[in-house]
Amino acid sequence: MSLDATIALRLGLLDLDVHLDVERDELLAILGPNGAGKSTVLRALAGLMSIDSGRIAIDGAMVDEPAAGLFVPAEARPIGVVFQDYLLFKHLSVVENVAFGLRARGVGRADARRRAAEWLGRVGLSDYATSRPGALSGGQAQRVALARALATDPRLLLLDEPLAALDAGARAGVRRDLRHHLRSFDGMRVMVTHDPVDAYALADRVAVMDGGRIVQLGTIAEVTAHPRSRYVASLVGTNLAIGVVEGNTLTTDSGGRVVLVDPPPGPAFALIRPQAIALHRPTVGDVDTGSAQNRWAGTVTDVDRLGDRVRVHVDGPLRLTAEITAAALEALDLRPGDPVLAAAKATDIESYPV
Amino acid sequence: MALAVLAVTFFALPFVGLLWRMPWAAVGEVLTDDPVRTALWLSIRCSLLATALSLVLGVPLAWLLARVGFPGRGVVRALCTLSMVLPPVVGGVALFFSFGRRGLFGQYLDSWFGIRLPFTTWAVVVAQTFVAMPFLVLTVEAAIRQLDRRYEDAARTLGASRWYVFHRVTLPSIRPGLIAGAVLAWARALGEFGATITFAGNFPGTTQTMPLATYLALETNPEEALILSLVLIVVSFAVLIGLRDRWLGGAGAGAG
Repeated sequence: MSLDATIALRLGLLDLDVHLDVERDELLAILGPNGAGKSTVLRALAGLMSIDSGRIAIDGAMVDEPAAGLFVPAEARPIGVVFQDYLLFKHLSVVENVAFGLRARGVGRADARRRAAEWLGRVGLSDYATSRPGALSGGQAQRVALARALATDPRLLLLDEPLAALDAGARAGVRRDLRHHLRSFDGMRVMVTHDPVDAYALADRVAVMDGGRIVQLGTIAEVTAHPRSRYVASLVGTNLAIGVVEGNTLTTDSGGRVVLVDPPPGPAFALIRPQAIALHRPTVGDVDTGSAQNRWAGTVTDVDRLGDRVRVHVDGPLRLTAEITAAALEALDLRPGDPVLAAAKATDIESYPV
Repeated sequence: MALAVLAVTFFALPFVGLLWRMPWAAVGEVLTDDPVRTALWLSIRCSLLATALSLVLGVPLAWLLARVGFPGRGVVRALCTLSMVLPPVVGGVALFFSFGRRGLFGQYLDSWFGIRLPFTTWAVVVAQTFVAMPFLVLTVEAAIRQLDRRYEDAARTLGASRWYVFHRVTLPSIRPGLIAGAVLAWARALGEFGATITFAGNFPGTTQTMPLATYLALETNPEEALILSLVLIVVSFAVLIGLRDRWLGGAGAGAG
């Protein structure tokens, strides 16, 4: 009982090449920026587009294998899909929407309606059975879409940005509901999202995609603790330097140098938490004082206030975000364009191999 | 502004003139007249048949033009809508020399199947379909193009075959465009004159439709022509009113 997919295809500028394994009862989130190829992976899994090479097997049954000339179209795959805007059929009532898949598979009208009504009960929308989809809130529409996708008993459930269509106020509640309803489904689940909060709340594992490749795969805790891409680092709000270690110094492509304690040799990441960075005004004839071994000269590009804390973005050989107190900012009087010196102790920086 | 008013006047005046001369007292008498009722009944039957034929053939054609990218699609679309811009009488001549008894294809229809189209009621239907179907095809094609295809994708992931998707999702979604197209085609079929008289002739009871009867009456009995015109005007106007929101409103025909 698993999904085993190796997907390679070209679509316009996108050059996609990924491998995914999803176990039964597991929810894998594909996390990535727009244009990373997340939705294309989902469409390939759903059978709405064919892959150029590779193979997709659902529960051991091959559904797409170009080398063998095999392609099982969407309507013949054991899948359910919850689309981004839910795509409920506007001309059908809510219960007819949920019954659609059963009817399409030849289940009789009365039987399909009865089973659809059961599903509506499970997602708590029995009262809306005869309503039109237009009368539903975003969260309700999502539950109907989920019931519709699950009513046909799929092995693999695909969710495309299931929370993106909701406004910020409704998201937390709907996310909680979705988590609850997803638990009752024991098949494989793949969810595409660009929001790490969704992945954190719903996923067992996360595949981070960028530029058509999976750049990191692991549990959400692993991924956020040791990001392996600038994208993930910026998502979780930390600094990541990527470079090559020689001795105890990591040097980035742009010439930034980070002094580390017992770093691994060769290509490595250095994770510099914003809270570990202190900022100073550079002074004439700057004397090296203090114990911080890392001192980076740069320019302030942006200042974000988050209540008592302030995030100061610094551009230089290393792009850094430092988190300091509002009081410290006031004392330093930093504004965008000002020169600044960022400092961090080597013992505060974590390093791990690429 | 002045020119716009002139345009409105230009459209309104003929109807004013027509209504001015209308022998209102004779309306009831003429409409219950047998030949007139025969022509009206024939017109309605033929135009509805032509509409049905346009639907059966035109919807798949519209789908093909909207969805399937094949080489020469533009040429095929032009060919299938040519009869919309062609003088109808030319269409009638073309039909005559193709499906007439000695026509390129008509001779085989006759010798193989014993079917002789010209000067029959079916010839009226064929002529009307020929000029009316393009209206349906273009309207429905536009409606299909405006459709959000992701709904069809959603239906497929639910296990729906292509045919099931088409009649349970695509067709209901393009309903307004379908209705608009069918009504336009029907109105065009109802008013068809040139192709009908050329290909089907003008025989009372078999091929003499309302427009033909109207034209004929103008020479013998102008009062009757006026009344027959009134009937056609009423029908056309009713169609326009019915389509007001979908077609005249400019809201697009197919936003399902």
